Amino acid sequence: MRIYEQLFIVRPDAASEEIDALLEQLGGVIAGAGGKLDKIEKWGLRKLAYPVEKRQEGYYVLLQYAAGAEVVKEIERRFRVSDLVLKYLTVRIDERLKWLEKRKKQREKRAQRKPAAARPAAEGSPMPGEPVVKE
Amino acid sequence: MAETKGGKPVSASQQPTGTDKAVVTRRQYFRRKKVCRFCVDRIDDINYKDVKLLSAFLTERGKIVPRRLSGVCAPHQRRLSNAIKQARNIALLPFTTR
Repeated sequence: MRIYEQLFIVRPDAASEEIDALLEQLGGVIAGAGGKLDKIEKWGLRKLAYPVEKRQEGYYVLLQYAAGAEVVKEIERRFRVSDLVLKYLTVRIDERLKWLEKRKKQREKRAQRKPAAARPAAEGSPMPGEPVVKE
Repeated sequence: MAETKGGKPVSASQQPTGTDKAVVTRRQYFRRKKVCRFCVDRIDDINYKDVKLLSAFLTERGKIVPRRLSGVCAPHQRRLSNAIKQARNIALLPFTTR
């Protein structure tokens, strides 16, 4: 099971019921394969950085779900078939989340160590390469 | 800072302009050592969704600003450029603008 993030652009002139129907469909695909839909974020209408299919705007939707690779394949296939979706991007984020978690822990550990040891020494010379003259 | 080294007072026109190292090159102008913004601000997550952050590292034409100009360190530049390319793919950022 992997965690994916799926950002896709729906045609701006699509009715909100159409979008909801699409989302429901996708939810069905994920649930059907034993995955878990973690969140749906509707960013709403945004200007595109460049025209896609001659459109300057798009309705962005972000999904996050945990599922296997075959689910991604199916969802992407549906996106390609559906004429609602202009563009999509799938990013696998579980390893990235793990890495971020690790970094955060490291930061906290270092922050705990610092107040005791590093602070007094650092105050002496705020800029490297500048000799501090003591009288 | 570099201007304390020479001992002479420095006029406003000779202030660091924000380029490379703390080296005085040919009298007039100084170079200040640039620091990586991601290291300083402790930003771990360079995400393709963060359009505001990423667009700060694009030129007017939509090119990625090179390290030698922005001062970003190599590991962060790598993550940054990946994020920008992802954002371009989904039309959050431009490939190019006229």
